Amino acid sequence: MSVPLSATTREDAAAIEPAAATRRRTWSRNRLWEAATPYVFVAPVLVIVGVFIYWPLIYSIYLSFFDWNFVSPVKEFVGFDNFVRLAVDPRFHRALYGTLVYIVALVPAQVILPLGLALLLWPIRRSRAQAFYRVTLFSPTVISFSVAALLWLWIFHPLQGFLNKVIFDFGFAKVNWLSNPNTAIWCVIVVSVWKTFGFNLLLYLAALEAVPTDYVEAASLDGAGGWQMFRLIRFPLITPTFFFVLVTTVISVNDEVFGAINVMTDGGPFDRSSNIVYYLYEQGFRVFQIGSASAVSLLIFIGTAILTWIQFRYVERRVHYG
Amino acid sequence: MGSWPAFAAQPVEILVLHVWGTPPGQAAASTMHPIAQLIEAFNAKKTGITVKGETPSTDYFATLQKAQAQIAAGRAPALVTTPWSNINFAVQGLQVATLEQIGGNEVRPVLANYKDEVLPLVTMNKQTVGLPLAFSCPVMYYNNDIMKQAGVDPAELFKDWASFKRLGAKVKAVTGNPILGLGNNADWEAQSIIQCNGGRVLDDNFKPAWDSPESVAAMTTIADINKAGLYLQSTTAESNAAFIGGSLAIWMASIASLGGLSKQVKFDLRTSPFPVFPGKPRKMSSGGSFLGCYARDKEQQRAAWEFLKFVASKEGVEIWLKTGYLNSTKFDYPVLPGQESAYIQLREGLTRESPWPGSRAAEIQKVWGTYVQRIWAGDIGAEEGCKQARQQVEPLLPKS
Repeated sequence: MSVPLSATTREDAAAIEPAAATRRRTWSRNRLWEAATPYVFVAPVLVIVGVFIYWPLIYSIYLSFFDWNFVSPVKEFVGFDNFVRLAVDPRFHRALYGTLVYIVALVPAQVILPLGLALLLWPIRRSRAQAFYRVTLFSPTVISFSVAALLWLWIFHPLQGFLNKVIFDFGFAKVNWLSNPNTAIWCVIVVSVWKTFGFNLLLYLAALEAVPTDYVEAASLDGAGGWQMFRLIRFPLITPTFFFVLVTTVISVNDEVFGAINVMTDGGPFDRSSNIVYYLYEQGFRVFQIGSASAVSLLIFIGTAILTWIQFRYVERRVHYG
Repeated sequence: MGSWPAFAAQPVEILVLHVWGTPPGQAAASTMHPIAQLIEAFNAKKTGITVKGETPSTDYFATLQKAQAQIAAGRAPALVTTPWSNINFAVQGLQVATLEQIGGNEVRPVLANYKDEVLPLVTMNKQTVGLPLAFSCPVMYYNNDIMKQAGVDPAELFKDWASFKRLGAKVKAVTGNPILGLGNNADWEAQSIIQCNGGRVLDDNFKPAWDSPESVAAMTTIADINKAGLYLQSTTAESNAAFIGGSLAIWMASIASLGGLSKQVKFDLRTSPFPVFPGKPRKMSSGGSFLGCYARDKEQQRAAWEFLKFVASKEGVEIWLKTGYLNSTKFDYPVLPGQESAYIQLREGLTRESPWPGSRAAEIQKVWGTYVQRIWAGDIGAEEGCKQARQQVEPLLPKS
């Protein structure tokens, strides 16, 4: 049965309708805002990451197929020529070999050495001596690589350097540390270890600090010795830090030596202290072959991705996240 | 100061990228680097053009690299010190504006002030690629105190490479160190030594010619000196420091280092022309840089030309020659003490520094420079090294 609306009711209905519509619009605006809010907040970061990471990555993949010097109005499409050229370039081969040497020498040095030092410093954690050692060992990390390398240049100087003065006084012949193809790369390695291991040392000290004391005390009551305590209690509990140090070291080790190579050896003598990152720099910014440099950067990206994947695939399974 | 015509109603600022920084604390007019003095003197004329100088690096390559980045970003610097060896790259890679393009009819009278042997160094395809500025050649700097202690007559030592090797042993006995160090990039000195033995680095078509018997023999000479323990394998910075410190007796480097060395050393500093090969004329390579115009904008180009005219004027040249570089103009200025050796070599005829060809010019130079160092250090035989360098460079040469 229909009930006729009074004039007042009709007026009310007329008034209610726009209000409902307004509510609906407000509701849908709210829903829209609710849905969009995360994207709005993330947008600035997305833009930054897109512009500074993904766009250069995509653009460098594109450039790796061209012969271009950054300035010439003409980019010549050369297909896979840049990659083929790398395959037969002896300088690139030497850089690859150098990369391998840096990884093999520096990864253990920057992952194991700081761990060993952290374990040595750990028992004296409450004394002032540890603060002294911590500051002393960490100091090289805060010095710029260029300054550190300049300092070491004087230590390694062939005629006036401190190192040669010492070995000469002991009756040995002077060595051209930075100009001898057999020693130059090891000089860069020494400087890199000296410069960077302090950071990992601090990470390990922090990780050891976070090991729950009740585990340690329980193991101690059960008669665990120093080695057992490390192998069965402390090390498993610091494996997240160990894994982090390992992954970041493998990724960054060849970037880190760049400063030392650039200041101390210029990749020499005869490209023997060069690595793939330095080769990339030389191709791009010294001999202006942007296509070739982009091809190298793509190979570095792929190589780093594979190494990281291997670590996550085979090492992470041994990590105890607590 | 002479009068200089006003240029523009609206002020124009141009940027000059160069490699000569004024050391900290030496900003006073008398102690600042002559390039800064040049700029200041020009700006003082209030022509409506303001020249701003910048030193991105003291290395030619790095400065050119900065220029390249700025050109790529659409902010081309008006003028850049461009090494002679990169003249091909400046033309083909960076599209440098020629002086004829920016200076028109005014170019010829300005260039008339330059020595006839200098102009071919900046000429490509009958166009003048830039204004000659830093004009140098390698010389032998030596520590005369050590020579006296060794009882060696420098004239005899530097007579030819055979006498150098023979008497070098006596010099070595004084310090106990190798006696000869290398400044600058190795390929530059190598070019001079090769030419002095009748060889060439590049032929007339800019193709490698460094594997000729004459070139190989010249390269072997330094390798033999190294074998005799007389050559210091080192970086330029190391050999420079060793020479200044008095532990290295001889340093082969650009005459442009004369001013700096004179202030730094505490011994009797002398220079000598390079040793020759018996019966063959000395034929040294020139070096240094020209001022190339990379501005794309007409007004900037025109302003750059006004500054170049000042650099080439008598007043400008007088300021510039305080550097110790050679006088590339016909203006008459006294030779500075120590420059005599370089002028002897200039009179004997300097050649152009190897103009590395094509868009991969810098890469070719890098490959050859590395082989020069390997050969000199005994890492590879001269003949094999020259051959391998050629093979490695072939694919980098322009296809035409």
